[in-house]
Amino acid sequence: MSDEVVTAAPEFELESVAGGAMRLSDLRSDGPVLVLFVAEECPTSALTLRRLGRLVPSLAAAGVTVAAVFEDPLEVAARTARRAGFAATLLAEPPPYDVSRAYELSSVPTTVLVGRDGNLIGRVVGWDAGALEELIEEACGAPVAVTQESPMRKPGCAAKSTYDAQTLRLLDAGSGQDELEEMFERGWTDGLPVIPPTRERVEAMLGGRDPAASLGEVPPGMGEATLERVAACAVLAGCRPDYFPVVLAAAEAALEPAFNLGGQAVTTQPVGQLVIVNGPVRDTIGLNGAMGALGPGWRANMTIGRAVRLLVSLTGGGFPGRLDRAALGQPGKVGVCVAEDEERSPWEPLHVERGFDREQSVVTLVACDAPLSISDHRSRSPEELAAVLGWAAAGAWSTNWWPLGTRSVFVICPEHAELFRKHRWDKRRLREAMFTAVRRPAGELRWGETTPHVERARDEEPVTKWTSPDDIVLIVAGGEAGRFSAVFGPCLGMNDEIISREVRWTT
Amino acid sequence: MDYVSPFDERRRTPEPLAPRPDELRGARVALLDINKRCGNQFLDRVEALLGDHGAHTFRLVKEIFSKPAGPEIIRRIADRGDLAVEGLAD
Repeated sequence: MSDEVVTAAPEFELESVAGGAMRLSDLRSDGPVLVLFVAEECPTSALTLRRLGRLVPSLAAAGVTVAAVFEDPLEVAARTARRAGFAATLLAEPPPYDVSRAYELSSVPTTVLVGRDGNLIGRVVGWDAGALEELIEEACGAPVAVTQESPMRKPGCAAKSTYDAQTLRLLDAGSGQDELEEMFERGWTDGLPVIPPTRERVEAMLGGRDPAASLGEVPPGMGEATLERVAACAVLAGCRPDYFPVVLAAAEAALEPAFNLGGQAVTTQPVGQLVIVNGPVRDTIGLNGAMGALGPGWRANMTIGRAVRLLVSLTGGGFPGRLDRAALGQPGKVGVCVAEDEERSPWEPLHVERGFDREQSVVTLVACDAPLSISDHRSRSPEELAAVLGWAAAGAWSTNWWPLGTRSVFVICPEHAELFRKHRWDKRRLREAMFTAVRRPAGELRWGETTPHVERARDEEPVTKWTSPDDIVLIVAGGEAGRFSAVFGPCLGMNDEIISREVRWTT
Repeated sequence: MDYVSPFDERRRTPEPLAPRPDELRGARVALLDINKRCGNQFLDRVEALLGDHGAHTFRLVKEIFSKPAGPEIIRRIADRGDLAVEGLAD
């Protein structure tokens, strides 16, 4: 501890990881304050956070408040403290580090004791177990043991406040840190490389929208979906700013309580969120509903679906293997977004069926498992093709799980759709034909995992795969040649609804 | 580099655990069935074991397993019970 003359500790007001700004005068309202000036890159700062972090409960019991001031952004402060097991007040000091300058820091860590009266009582520079023990005893009025592990003393690193602006820029540019690797390091990924969400990129994504405006909390971890965080997810996913209105509409739909995203996000089922887009926005941003519509190749499709999933797994905390308990998962959990090919469809598009005008751009979210391809190049009658399509879903969820108890989304390819057009079958007729075709006697379904309905039924009683024709959802998409439709696997037991939201170009 | 975090970094204060009881005799234990198949079998067994230890049990059933218990269920557990056991199942 130094022998410096007691003087008033400079007042400061800094952003807190807990939200809002915090002043030194707030911190010392209940007693003395131990302020640790630290930086992420400094190993001695990490050591100090780890070792003093263990003492935070004892210090709190003695009426001493502990706060760490990071010469780093908020999220870096939060991450570094979490890793060090340091659970106390976390504050972030932005460049040009005026607070560090006011405290005349030469290096970090520097631990400063401020009395309740606001006077500086003492400071310890670097890690010095003996000096820190003395400082803490002075704070608590009683001895508190500081670890005697080696090293007992360790010098720190130069405080960022000691650098001029030009040097700071050089350090920032030449840190040798690979930006893409840093995203993995921060955990801002789904396992694939991401676009780093720099402030400039996020602002471009926001397009003038209020970054602090909130769409609500994202299950399962209930992180708040501020527009800034949604935009950060869109940047990470690789979206262009003109996709953002679609991402926002999808996020709004996902957060609708009736969608039960919380249940979907934590279930052991392999549930993803299928994003279906209708209306003029498809052409505006280049969404694909034609050849390869469910596969890779189109940036808008790939990144919009991914942005929704990143919102769930990062902002919402529903990360696989943590709160997301999916036993296997499925590739669609990276994200899946498809445009309906309204122009090739013989029917009214999905959003019109759901009450919107054809000229409205609409995003519809459905909880789904992976898609299964349905090949049929031989059916010549609509009855035959309806049965083929329907029977493809007979094994959905499980071979004997009849009725399914939820919906199935069918993606009808243009050549299959054309057969129904030729015979003037509307959606209602196709649904009823599929529904009627797929039925089996209960006695054949009574093995393995089956439903209470089958358990109660007589052997000869026919059981349908769906409870109602309305459980069959139909959209049209796919290449002009090739008779391959698809049916998405179900999500069960969520009591979830399909949710549609209009795409708004301004907020 | 100044990045915008996708995480909500606000610190959440964990709810403190309720005091643990010293013994089960005479305790009122809520047995919450989340409404998944076989959950009742698990709770039947737990109920029998609690009975052996002198506890008094009462059963509640969630409306659906995939959504949080409603405030009415929570209130009934709080009003009538000293302890609660939730039976996850499949």
